[in-house]
Amino acid sequence: MESIITLKNVSKEFKVLNRHEGIKGGFQDLFSRDYKIIKAVNDISMDIMPGEICGYLGPNGAGKSTTIKMMTGVLEPTSGEILVNGRIPYKNRTENAQNIGVVFGQRSQLWWALPLIESFKLLRDIYQIEEKDFKDMMELYESLVDIKELYSKPVRQMSLGQRTLSDILAAFLHNPGVVFLDEPTIGLDVSMKSKIRDLIKALNHEKKTTVILTTHDMGDVDALCKRIVIIDKGIMLYDNSIENLRSFFGAYRTLRLRFAKDASQLTKEALKKQAAELAGDLKNVYPQAKSIGVSAGEEWVDVLLNEDEIALMKVLNHIQETRRIYDVQLKEISTESVIKKIYDKEIE
Amino acid sequence: MNKELKKRGLRFYASIYFKIIAQDFKSKMSYRADFVISMLGMILTNISGFVTFYIMFQNFETINGWNYYEMLFLYGFSLIALTPMQCLFDNNWNLRYAVYDGSFIKYCFRPINIFFYFISEVFDVKGLGQLLMGSLTLGYAWYHLGLQMTVWKAFLLVAALLTGSLFMIAIMNLAAATCFWLVNSGFVMVTMFKFTEYARYPVTIFQGIFRGLFTFVIPIAFVAYYPSYIFLRPGLPVLTCLSPVFGIFFFWISYRVWMLGASRYSGTGN
Repeated sequence: MESIITLKNVSKEFKVLNRHEGIKGGFQDLFSRDYKIIKAVNDISMDIMPGEICGYLGPNGAGKSTTIKMMTGVLEPTSGEILVNGRIPYKNRTENAQNIGVVFGQRSQLWWALPLIESFKLLRDIYQIEEKDFKDMMELYESLVDIKELYSKPVRQMSLGQRTLSDILAAFLHNPGVVFLDEPTIGLDVSMKSKIRDLIKALNHEKKTTVILTTHDMGDVDALCKRIVIIDKGIMLYDNSIENLRSFFGAYRTLRLRFAKDASQLTKEALKKQAAELAGDLKNVYPQAKSIGVSAGEEWVDVLLNEDEIALMKVLNHIQETRRIYDVQLKEISTESVIKKIYDKEIE
Repeated sequence: MNKELKKRGLRFYASIYFKIIAQDFKSKMSYRADFVISMLGMILTNISGFVTFYIMFQNFETINGWNYYEMLFLYGFSLIALTPMQCLFDNNWNLRYAVYDGSFIKYCFRPINIFFYFISEVFDVKGLGQLLMGSLTLGYAWYHLGLQMTVWKAFLLVAALLTGSLFMIAIMNLAAATCFWLVNSGFVMVTMFKFTEYARYPVTIFQGIFRGLFTFVIPIAFVAYYPSYIFLRPGLPVLTCLSPVFGIFFFWISYRVWMLGASRYSGTGN
């Protein structure tokens, strides 16, 4: 099968003025030719297959947005080749735009003052969607989510969740080959998050649309992506399946502990404090076990460790001797922890 | 997977444009109080301008050889010439905010012209109050000056008004586009908009460098003075004859500069 998106040795450099301090420095800057080159994206190559949902991950400022902007034709790469739907995006911005859908940031791309259905009709005209295709798509939408009740609502009166939902539907409306979703679930409550994930999954399944998803929410990744690409500081760190990544950490276990019965003692601050105390304690007792990490999760204190280094039962025993445990769970390493380890360069 | 594009010509854009305007107008009308108040505000602003004029002419017979009704003619003319800029190109005022906070990027993702997409988003109804004031003033002046109305003159008037509008729009396009290069471009727009108030005076009241400035650099003399010269004075200055061509050319330049700025833009990242 031929790939729908191809990146070959793509780099993007920005020229940034070296700023000087103070008023005198400000005047210097006016005439300065003292630029430094920043490589936002450095020699990235990948092939995305049709129908894939690919998670594109990395810490803030890693170069994700820059890559997306190049794939959508807004930015021109400094070097390297990009093909999307067989086209060079920045050379045919409008033609490329016809075959992609984008939800970028939390700013709605729909007409603020117009009722949703009017926005959809305008998009139908702009993308020159055939009447029958439009009708089929709307029927599909109505079967997937309760969108009908939003039709007459202007976008500006919608909640964040409704707006996100509308924006995603708008991005799929002209049945594009590729849809780029930038942090689609940010700021949403748990039930809305799962609704959005189900919707993306269903649309990808029904229409075989390729989805490029950038997110910081590992729940999105677990629910949607088989494959992930991770970049940091413009350099690609990982490109493979999540399963493969987890197998690197086969000997890692997460021990989830609860040190209080009462929900009021499970606040974020309380959990953080418990985690910090436990981390100090374990560090003292097992100074040789570098892999031990303690973090505060939602309602749990998580202890991550490598069993090749130290036995889980030994650690659990120690904890039990020193404090009262109300609840215990044993888990594989979470996607979140795996990704964090990659960001922290603990794996090559 | 690749869908072929049908040609996106003038008809395509016109049809999209009217649909957006119609929808926008409908939604604006649903906020009736808002609509009435902004309309009233616009009319009051213009009445105060009108009163200034009236008081001025209580003290002077003419200004630089232009009498009361001729000055009213220019005033009414400039108000009408300002209307298309205010009604249809009002979103230029929001351009710098969109550019600074990064939301401008959304205009790059649709398969249509970026300038069109951005400008079509807002239709400002306030300008309609101004159109009404301008038309009344111009009609009143026209009547008192004893100008006849013929088909040819009506045609000339429409052409002259369109010319003035093109200059007005182009000036504000350029002023708005500065935000692609400057960080504090707000003052450019405000200053330019203030300058356009001088459009209602004959450019001959300015001397030396200012006259040159308002004719060739910030061409507000072309908004009302040169286009309406043909109705008020015998003879035809070269600049009056050339003003429609200049107007189209200047508008085209402003469009190119705007688009150049837009293509330079890359968003502010997240």
